Amino acid sequence: MWNYEKKLQYPVKIKTPNPKLAQIIISQLGGPDGELAASMRYLHQRYAMPYKEITGILTDVGTEELAHLEMVAAILYQLTRNLSEDQIKQGGFETYFVDHTTGIYPIAASGVPFDMKYVGIKGDTIADLQEDLAAEQKARVTYDNILRLCDDPDVRDPIKFLREREIVHAQRFGDALRIAQDHLDSRNFYACNPSFDKACGKK
Amino acid sequence: MENNNSKSCLARLRAIDFALYETVLYLDAYPDNAEALAYYHRMLTQRKALVAEYEQNVGPLTVCGNVSTTGWDWIKNPWPWEYEAN
Repeated sequence: MWNYEKKLQYPVKIKTPNPKLAQIIISQLGGPDGELAASMRYLHQRYAMPYKEITGILTDVGTEELAHLEMVAAILYQLTRNLSEDQIKQGGFETYFVDHTTGIYPIAASGVPFDMKYVGIKGDTIADLQEDLAAEQKARVTYDNILRLCDDPDVRDPIKFLREREIVHAQRFGDALRIAQDHLDSRNFYACNPSFDKACGKK
Repeated sequence: MENNNSKSCLARLRAIDFALYETVLYLDAYPDNAEALAYYHRMLTQRKALVAEYEQNVGPLTVCGNVSTTGWDWIKNPWPWEYEAN
């Protein structure tokens, strides 16, 4: 089960509201490679995993992604604080504002709401881990793109933290893939699916 | 208004938690690593002290950390996403 800790994993202290920037960063909340997709992907993949190390990694990285989801929401919350109607219009924020005011709604920068289609869960050990490796790279690239578009050091700081965490997670999924392969017949890793087939692995 | 003590306690707790959770992820992949497990326990000891300090001076970290018997501090403002909480 989940417990909640009443602190952000890393501080978010943004002095200057900026709804235009919020519309970009919101992709890490509700976009295809964002933190909601990541947490749902890892937390749901763990049920079919046959090796306890991998179940552990998916549980703990998935939980950390929920913490990142909260950090992204905090960034968006602080970027859209106390906006005047002028600031809303100048920021090109009207399309989001009309439906959500300054509520925090998981959506992509393109305006497409979060979709479970972003989350790959194949129920195959190797396929799921390769999905996770790709997911972490795409999340990193999304943070790279945000950094290209953002000058405010108050915003860059937590974004850089989140980006570094994606790189670390990718390393852990690399470990997980190697652990899975160590259990399998190296002459053919794809002979069976350890998430489904009984007695699938090294003799 | 935040005082320096509560800020620095939160900063120290975040630092320990970072080291601790990195070790957790490492142990998930390498559960037999004795050195990592020893490091985990060292971090955990420091964390317990920092959590006690935080909950005594600032507020509860979890629903199990409401040390006051006269007030429900768990819902006290600010919440973590607010500027003032960081």
